[in-house]
Amino acid sequence: MKGRVAKYEQDNIDTDVIIPGQYLKIHDYAELATHAMEGIDENFQKKNAVYMVAGRNFGCGSSREHAPIALSESGIRAVLALSFARIFYRNAVDGAFLLPIEIEPDAYEGISDGDIISVDSESNTVTNQTTGITYNTKPFAGIIRDIINAGGLFKYEPGS
Amino acid sequence: MGRTLFEKVWDAHIVSKGDDESGPSLIYVDRHLIHEVTSPQAFDGLRIAGRTVRRPDLTVATVDHNIPTGTLRLPIADEVSALQITTLEKNCRDFNIQLFGMDSQWQGIVHVIGPQMGITLPGATIVCGDSHTSTHGAFGAFALGIGTSEVEHVLATQTLWLEKPKPYKIAMEGQLDTGTSSKDLVLYMIKMLGTDGGTGHVFEYAGEAIRAMSMEQRMTICNMSIEGGARAGMIAPDDTTYEYLRDRPCTPESFDDMVSVWRDTLYSDSDAKFAKSYVIRADKVVPQVSWGTNPGMVCDITDAVPDPVEYGKGHTGQEDGARRALDYMDLEPGIAMTDISIDRVFIGSCTNARLEDLIEAAQIVRDHTVHPDVRAMVVPGSQAVKREAEQMGLDKVFLDAGFEWRNSGCSMCLGMNPDILGPGQRCASTSNRNFEGRQGAGGRTHLMSPAMAAAAAVCGHLADVRDMI
Repeated sequence: MKGRVAKYEQDNIDTDVIIPGQYLKIHDYAELATHAMEGIDENFQKKNAVYMVAGRNFGCGSSREHAPIALSESGIRAVLALSFARIFYRNAVDGAFLLPIEIEPDAYEGISDGDIISVDSESNTVTNQTTGITYNTKPFAGIIRDIINAGGLFKYEPGS
Repeated sequence: MGRTLFEKVWDAHIVSKGDDESGPSLIYVDRHLIHEVTSPQAFDGLRIAGRTVRRPDLTVATVDHNIPTGTLRLPIADEVSALQITTLEKNCRDFNIQLFGMDSQWQGIVHVIGPQMGITLPGATIVCGDSHTSTHGAFGAFALGIGTSEVEHVLATQTLWLEKPKPYKIAMEGQLDTGTSSKDLVLYMIKMLGTDGGTGHVFEYAGEAIRAMSMEQRMTICNMSIEGGARAGMIAPDDTTYEYLRDRPCTPESFDDMVSVWRDTLYSDSDAKFAKSYVIRADKVVPQVSWGTNPGMVCDITDAVPDPVEYGKGHTGQEDGARRALDYMDLEPGIAMTDISIDRVFIGSCTNARLEDLIEAAQIVRDHTVHPDVRAMVVPGSQAVKREAEQMGLDKVFLDAGFEWRNSGCSMCLGMNPDILGPGQRCASTSNRNFEGRQGAGGRTHLMSPAMAAAAAVCGHLADVRDMI
């Protein structure tokens, strides 16, 4: 799927930035999404981004599943980051909210805010349609791969 | 080959394992703690699927994140918060789960009441929909934070599919100096290892400094394991652990028999292999304080605000991160940390709101007053902590000095209840995260120990508590 990138050239984008604590009372996912990323990017909603690109340790902090939900409900299908904090990583796939894809520095450098990219999670590549360059992404491994393939934690059956 | 403490607890809880030796394991959960924020969707999910709670007797609930901490326990004015509380009350009634609610004498922050009530036990697996569940590892439990989907999975099955993290030994050698606490040690550790230094690992804290610590000090260290990126933090239990747990409200009747089993098993074997290890000289650590917007952006209180260029040397992205952090924090490089004025002081949170933390702070505050430009609050970690502190007269010490003395809850740690920083306000805080907006939109957080926060309250600026002892 082709889509626009919202890029945050920062490490340690934490869950308080993704969805601030004051909104954790909200039960309605669509309303929750209107506050995604508002702490660091007031224009996030207007970007109509499908992909997010960021640095190391994305999603560090709280265990709030509201974080991947808020991004997913905002239209984000995958976050491409140099690395992820583990609770966010797991939360993202448990509810099949979005794909947390680990990238290498070449893709991090080679994809800019506003670029159109496409992600192929079968061949483990991301192609920057704006520049025409394709990069390798890290394959999913272990239980993360299995839960993604199953379509979420509640569809996951071991050994299947 | 020998096994680490973590590996022993892990192995003892494997329900099922796939054919792939390195694959995930289904792990049995001994204790499930729940609160109002990360549980409602999980109960919704149970109802939709027509499932029930498998072991309500192993599940305990409290309210902490969104509740007001005002001196009177009035009905919650904020309708959305009130709904979250009544939803939890209904869920606990419907599924027969014990709840320590707003009017319970045992209400408190989930990571304070678990240990305090003897719900947390050595060798147990403990989960909660909250990242600071790592706190309970101080008792030799494997305790980790989980998301709401996993909360639902545990409610339904009392198990969790997990990939096995690797053991990482943190040896804390030597003794802490006067004025320095376990909070300083853990902030120092995160400064050295980074906020993702422990990713994919479980920290096991060992060494002379750990052995000399009380349980409450150990909990502060394990609590912040998550800020170092680790899945959990653990400390092998010893006499200090057993004495702490012996006479708690929920301590099992067979406690003494359990202790003899724990003594024989809950330690890392001398030939156990750790994937990584790191040594900290506790006697060389001085009071720490954060200057930036993550818990790794920390320096000695005697230092100046770092120069982003220097800070970023040899680390891609660190210079930009530091520049951005200083911009948010409104700080100039080169300013002495002790010259930074503050507006607010928060002594509270699951990191530092236990009785000893309040005693430490009160010792500094006694015979002093809060600086006139500062609003300072103490929020005990549980109503039981509050009562114990009041029996010791600590409430009077704080109130006489000009602090607010409040009811328990997560309060100003996370900005989702009425206790928040205003935009631009600067806070000396004993909590665990200094992220942008964490304590309220535009608020600026400096993390430190309870004694250091007390010193800042009196001085009106960040201060070296050792000068006040």
